[in-house]
Amino acid sequence: MDRRRFLKDIAATGLAAGLAPASLRGGQAQIAAYPDIGFVQGESPAALAREAVKIIGGMRRFVAVGDVVMVKPNIGWDRTPELAACTNPEVVKTLVELCTEAGAKKVIVMDNTTNQAQRCYARSGIAAAAKAAGADVPFVSERRIKKMAIKGEWLKDWDVVQEFVEVDKIINVPIAKHHSLCRVTLGMKNWLGALGEPRNQLHQKLDQAEVDLAAFFKPTLTVLDAWRILIRNGPQGGRPSDTKLMKTIAAGVDYVAMDALGATFFDIPPAELPFLDLAAKRKLGRIDLEKMRIEKRTV
Amino acid sequence: MKKERSKKHRRLQLVRVGVQAIFFALFLWLLLGTHFTGEDYIGNVEAFFHFDPLLAVVAAIAGREVFLAFIWAAVTILVTVFLGRVVCGWVCPLGSVHQFFSWLFKKTKLLRPRKVVTGGLWWKYAVLIFVIIAAVLALDVVGYFDPLSFLTRTVTTSLLPAFAQGAKIVIGFAYGIGLEGIGDSLTQGLEKLTINGTFQQGFLIGLIFLGLIALNIFRERFWCRYVCPAGALLGLMSRANIYRVKVDEEKCIKCNLCTIQCQTQAHPWPDKDWKSSECVYCETCAAICPTAAITFPSKLKPAPLPAVDLGRRKVVLASLLAVFSVPFFRISKAGKRPSPKLIRPPGALPEEQFLARCVKCGECMKACPTGALQPAMTEAGPEGMWTPVLVPKVGYCEYYCSLCSQVCPTGAIKELTIPEKTVFVIGTAWINKNRCIPYFLGRPCIVCEEHCPTSPKAIKFVMVEAKLPDGTVATQKAPVIDLDLCIGCGICENKCPVMDDPAIYVTSVGEQRNPKNQLLLKTLE
Repeated sequence: MDRRRFLKDIAATGLAAGLAPASLRGGQAQIAAYPDIGFVQGESPAALAREAVKIIGGMRRFVAVGDVVMVKPNIGWDRTPELAACTNPEVVKTLVELCTEAGAKKVIVMDNTTNQAQRCYARSGIAAAAKAAGADVPFVSERRIKKMAIKGEWLKDWDVVQEFVEVDKIINVPIAKHHSLCRVTLGMKNWLGALGEPRNQLHQKLDQAEVDLAAFFKPTLTVLDAWRILIRNGPQGGRPSDTKLMKTIAAGVDYVAMDALGATFFDIPPAELPFLDLAAKRKLGRIDLEKMRIEKRTV
Repeated sequence: MKKERSKKHRRLQLVRVGVQAIFFALFLWLLLGTHFTGEDYIGNVEAFFHFDPLLAVVAAIAGREVFLAFIWAAVTILVTVFLGRVVCGWVCPLGSVHQFFSWLFKKTKLLRPRKVVTGGLWWKYAVLIFVIIAAVLALDVVGYFDPLSFLTRTVTTSLLPAFAQGAKIVIGFAYGIGLEGIGDSLTQGLEKLTINGTFQQGFLIGLIFLGLIALNIFRERFWCRYVCPAGALLGLMSRANIYRVKVDEEKCIKCNLCTIQCQTQAHPWPDKDWKSSECVYCETCAAICPTAAITFPSKLKPAPLPAVDLGRRKVVLASLLAVFSVPFFRISKAGKRPSPKLIRPPGALPEEQFLARCVKCGECMKACPTGALQPAMTEAGPEGMWTPVLVPKVGYCEYYCSLCSQVCPTGAIKELTIPEKTVFVIGTAWINKNRCIPYFLGRPCIVCEEHCPTSPKAIKFVMVEAKLPDGTVATQKAPVIDLDLCIGCGICENKCPVMDDPAIYVTSVGEQRNPKNQLLLKTLE
């Protein structure tokens, strides 16, 4: 960020503070100024993502000038976007753009895929979209996987792809999908893509593992892609009829709340999901959606 | 007598080296490009094979069918008929490899030809006869000797994996001395080449290659002189060449250097003994001649044909040997019953036809995105050695990929579109309930179901009770296979968390190419 923009920002903030109602001014009140979740529906994934982040304060609230930012979509499967197995490429691209606009020095987009990485990166459309927006889209290298202390309640240590812990900020961009074991896969489950093998063994206690991982990675921001969600045959789907077009993107800081919101897309009460129950009990976040400020907009 | 070597022929020699380098680079570039590059359909990366007359002849004879792509072999035949074995000397990538090492051994004085060598040339004609007679009996052994198949297989299953291993050492070193940036970019570059690094016979295949390279210490271009049946076939055609060696007897000092140094024992001096069937037009003799006495003038009227170095008795002997040895290849249980481990790539023809067409070149193994296709050892019997077999413990069949079927040069794997591929059944998955985590340990798992690529999934759930060691009973979701939907891709076996001996595994039963290897009687439904 250059000096000119910095000055402009200060001016804008000052103006906003001056115009805002008195109750919203000051340190504590500043945070409360933003809704808990931005919930946007409309016709273009890119516009929805942009608006959702804007509702909760804009990307500059989360990304500082000079930050290295990781945008973590789900690129797990060799599936094209209309099959809703991977995050929508337009959403990923928009988030990369937002980070760059906010002054990020470098944006990395990557995932430890399940199918062949080259195929997943290419056919999901994510690699091309993210590169077009100026992101680095590296493949996971076995050299960059190291054992780390997860310090979870159950998961004590595991192999972690280093890029995910080296960055300054990390933005989780899961897609909402059906999953046979944990019923739905959302943001917390998405962290399995930042791990090394044999991550398949985590399925023996998946709900607990998800919560431990979410607490470990602590995303700065979660943007939930529900443009097209996968309602059966998850987490891969395979036919367009396995998907449902929701035209919805939501953004929020509280990653537990975001998953709670995601559960409602599948008509599941959040408390029914063991991983959300565990996370709420550990006070990692809230699942009482009815008490949250969810600002809904249509663009 | 003025002593001066021919500048023209020394230049021609350099041109020849340049042309060899270009064709070798082209060969390597096409082979390195034989992997998923972002598109569903890959194009003609196997083009080299279709210019090979030996493969064209054997594929037609053994496969009892003319494969149209081999029409390009006519180009090679035409070139050879009019220009001689220039393809061997200027184009063939394996020829270039052998010539390079021969040159290296000469430079390092490991190879020092001192006297005229005679004899032995008939061996490669015997190999050719063996290969052709075997093909008549529908035994396809050409792939073990054909230079393109040989080199492609060796590079794919041995040299490239070794290169990747070496590169990893270099990368490790870069990281070790703190050059993280260089390490990262080398890693990403290597990743883009997508080299399959695991081959169950890579060591053996590499060893055979090294052995043949080492033979160049004894004779220059040992393989091309004594072994290569493709060279032999071209030799039979190149007997009326337009360009024929001519030694100017007035200039000749009878030093015999040309004949001693000849790469392929073609005997340029005296020129009446020159063997047009052996000469590969490498230009060595003309370039090395101390008095520039050797030229290759063109004659539109072909000279009388010199006899190929092969007596009638040897022809008969080689033929008889072939006829008698073919049955030995068939003494095996392979033909009796399908092997459970013989999972062929999608699109593979019925086994008999497949064996008759497959030249074991390994193109499919190079193309496979997960490295699942491996050279068979015993799974397919003696005649199936090095044919592709899917080994789920190494890799699995990627659902939306049909690259192996697209790159097969002989049609042993029938070309499939992606929609055709996704329903092509190559085997069936089975569950070993004694090892499966939910069945046996009563714990959740479902990894196989999660990875099953079909929609609806071929792996479904039932609730099962597991009796635990402490006497309690755990109820858990456990996988069952829906045989109507399973295509045998093997991802379930590949991803099963029971590492050593997966609790779910694929066998060949149900493969659609073999009506005798079926499980469900579909006709009754």
